[in-house]
Amino acid sequence: MDQAHQRAIAVIAHIDHGKSTLSDRLLQLTGTVSDRDMREQFLDRMDLERERGITIKAAAVRMRYAAPDGAEYQINLIDTPGHVDFGYEVSRSLAACDGVLLLVDAAQGIEAQTLTNLYLAVDAGLEIIPVLNKIDLPAAQPERYAQELASLIGCDPADIFRISAKTGEGVDELLEAIVSKVPPPKGDPDAPLRALVFDSVYDAYRGVIAYVRVVDGRLQRRQAIRLMVADFAADADEIGIMAPDAQVVESLETGEVGYVIAGIKEVALAKVGDTITSADRPAGKPLPGYREPKPMVFAGIYPIEGDDFPELRDALDKLKLNDAALVFEPESSTALGFGFRCGFLGLLHMEIVRERLEREFDLELIATAPSVGYEIELMGAQKQIVRNPTDMPDPSKIEAVYEPYVSVMVVTPSEFVGTVMQLCQERRGELKEMHYLSTERVEIRYHMPLGEIIFDFFDQLKSRTKGYASLDYEPVGMYPSNLVRVDLLLNQQPVDAFSTIVHRDKAYDYGKTMTERLRKLIPRQMFDVPIQAAIGSRVIARETVKAKRKDVLAKCYGGDITRKRKLLEQQKKGKKKMKQIGAVEVPQGAFIDALRVDADLDAGAKS
Amino acid sequence: MADPGFGIYVHIPFCKHRCHYCDFNTYEGQDDLHASYADALVKEVRRWDGPTRSATSVFFGGGTPTLLPSHQLGLVLQAVRDRHGLSEDAEVTAEANPETVDEAYFTALLEAGFNRVSVGVQSLVPKVLVGLGRTHPPEVALRALDAAHRAGFDDVNADLIYGSPWEEDEDWVRSLEGVIDSGVAHVSAYALTVEEGTPLATLVRSGRTPGVDPDIQARRHDIASQLLGAAGFARYEISNWSRPGRASRHNVLYWSAGEYLGFGAGAHAHVEGERWWSTRLPRDFIAAVQADSSTTAGSERLDDDARAGEALMLGLRLRTGVDLDGFSKRFGASPLSKRTGTLDRLREVGLLELSGSRLRLSDRGTLLANEALCELL
Repeated sequence: MDQAHQRAIAVIAHIDHGKSTLSDRLLQLTGTVSDRDMREQFLDRMDLERERGITIKAAAVRMRYAAPDGAEYQINLIDTPGHVDFGYEVSRSLAACDGVLLLVDAAQGIEAQTLTNLYLAVDAGLEIIPVLNKIDLPAAQPERYAQELASLIGCDPADIFRISAKTGEGVDELLEAIVSKVPPPKGDPDAPLRALVFDSVYDAYRGVIAYVRVVDGRLQRRQAIRLMVADFAADADEIGIMAPDAQVVESLETGEVGYVIAGIKEVALAKVGDTITSADRPAGKPLPGYREPKPMVFAGIYPIEGDDFPELRDALDKLKLNDAALVFEPESSTALGFGFRCGFLGLLHMEIVRERLEREFDLELIATAPSVGYEIELMGAQKQIVRNPTDMPDPSKIEAVYEPYVSVMVVTPSEFVGTVMQLCQERRGELKEMHYLSTERVEIRYHMPLGEIIFDFFDQLKSRTKGYASLDYEPVGMYPSNLVRVDLLLNQQPVDAFSTIVHRDKAYDYGKTMTERLRKLIPRQMFDVPIQAAIGSRVIARETVKAKRKDVLAKCYGGDITRKRKLLEQQKKGKKKMKQIGAVEVPQGAFIDALRVDADLDAGAKS
Repeated sequence: MADPGFGIYVHIPFCKHRCHYCDFNTYEGQDDLHASYADALVKEVRRWDGPTRSATSVFFGGGTPTLLPSHQLGLVLQAVRDRHGLSEDAEVTAEANPETVDEAYFTALLEAGFNRVSVGVQSLVPKVLVGLGRTHPPEVALRALDAAHRAGFDDVNADLIYGSPWEEDEDWVRSLEGVIDSGVAHVSAYALTVEEGTPLATLVRSGRTPGVDPDIQARRHDIASQLLGAAGFARYEISNWSRPGRASRHNVLYWSAGEYLGFGAGAHAHVEGERWWSTRLPRDFIAAVQADSSTTAGSERLDDDARAGEALMLGLRLRTGVDLDGFSKRFGASPLSKRTGTLDRLREVGLLELSGSRLRLSDRGTLLANEALCELL
């Protein structure tokens, strides 16, 4: 279709603000899905089906819209991933659009993440169409939140669309506005091909499916293509669109959105943000804005059964095919055996990976406490990256330690401003900005170490604000901090899995909490076992597991020696299963328990 | 190792009340079985057709042997005498519950050929007895000990339980002093063990009763050693003290990995390297005997090395320990040489000590015996 009649949009919305329902109405009103085939949350269900073996993801849907002016338009609805860890992916989805629908629940108002994405869209120069949804709800306060939105984007409250995606009220007008307000794509159809990869998934049968928007030129079936950043050549075996089912097409024209299958074996070769060009007539430079996925959070992942190590390796290799952001390398721990140090975009990414490893590969895993990546400046100006606390050099050799900081945005009802500020201050946050969205709601920005967020900051924020505050954050670089490594020593032997890097002011609390916890988990031995927390050689907290005094069977019943022997054999077997840390015998379960409660511990240590 | 003799164990699996901490093979409310059980025992003892020899010790345990009329116990003992023989100086013990005995009963036992009684005193402090679920007051136990002495028993043992959650140090001292004053020749003092499957274990798990504290039990064991030692008793096994020459031969037989036959429901036997045991339910036992079929429910035969390991596990419980020369003669040199590293380490950490050719648990090792013994199996 000619460029003038194309529109590409995304919906920016908080979870539960009605994105899926609005998509349903758009699909229905444009006749993309017939009333007969319509099911609730149509596109979400397609994703679920994909999990059961159908490959095409509803990353972008093409709709045909017959406008009241008589012309026919092609509207491409591009999906955006919905979490803080995937900010970069959101930015690429937005880069594939010309406009966004800013969809806000008329009973709740805008949330932090939506705000972040709104700012991304504004920065990208996209047309913003503000929409209040759920106006049919009794709790809706459209006037109030229209005011809030209007002041945010600088428009008249009267220009804000008020719809009910559920009943369809106002959605017709919205469709018209998409056509009239969102500009058509500006690409050059005669220039060499440049197509932006805005999503990329791996399918076991077809290889990588790259979702693209053609910015310049034209993408044809069987064309020889090149991924410009990956510097990888391939042939476009199949080109298609989703409408909403996959349909093979011969070509994608300038401005059009679709998918490409080109026999690529892993998503790392077709990363989000890369540019596809023609191998024969390549573009001079790729589209701007590409960023390497950068792991921000690190944790050791270990199989609970040591024998499962090869299975864990295979599973990570397989996940990596579909996850360009996942990095991992083998490591070993005296307490936990053999495992992998893994890097993730953020906590959610970590949870997703772990859950997939356990669910899809049937592995039982234990993860160390997550940490961030530190930059250590050694005496003599050498630098070192530390992703595992045990790699941190001795304090005497350290000139300075840098840690990643994030810009944290919290949107909260104004009554919780004090609570939120207190929490952020406890986590070494520095207030940067406070902005009243309306008289009742505030946007607060803090400059804060990422390391302070990755434990339970979100949970704390939610519980202290009765669930009303929302959170978003983005990395802003490395800053020096007064950080130390706290080691836990069992009978003078360090237990690597518990070493952690914390701010000096919090070292004592961490040490105290961990020594107390371990005292309860380490069984009594034949001798007193000191449990110490130390910074370098300086002990900051100490507990003692008192020596066992009595372990003897009292009597023998009626000559039943067999039973006595079996009891002792069991005890012997139990001993063999113990991990030996120096002279101390520790059941594997003790370390696992200590790590499992780590989040609670952290809460205890920090609050 | 000198020949530790040959023993015969007879099990009486009945009690008037089952104590909530007890996991022995005993049953209450089966009074109607008592007579036929005693008959079955007599028949079982007499029909034995395996290897046997004169017994140096006979032990009637339970349950509560004295729940049966003394003449029934006498008939069983007579069967033992007839079929197996008793050596001249044989030790013949009956366990007794204080509530079931009086002087006349003890006199009858003595006349039937018993020469040693073991009385289940457990404690001499009312609140501790109540906690343990014992139904008799302290005086009844003291009266039973007195009755045994008056009937003419020289060898009287008092069984005590210490370290229950209802007991304080001074209660334990009171119990010890009471049995010492009663003139007994032997004291068995057992730390209360919360055994899986007992009502006590359920109570502890649900938090309705506090559990036992091994540190407190260790302290009570020390108290026992002090008081009994001062009164002229010597500890000859982890839980057993006696006046000079009054150690229980039957008890020592077990710890010496000696041979014994066992008769009755759930009774265990050990002869020529084979261990076997009878069916546990009294009803099944009676039925098997009446049907002239075997009462054996299970057996095991250990290989030579496992037998040696077991002999160490048992022998080290004795204060005299294990004579390594005798041990090597009995089991050959390899079991010891195989365990040299373990033995050295256990000596190094102070659980075992060697004096001459005798290996034994150190004072500290006595209460940590499991730690050492499990490694030697």
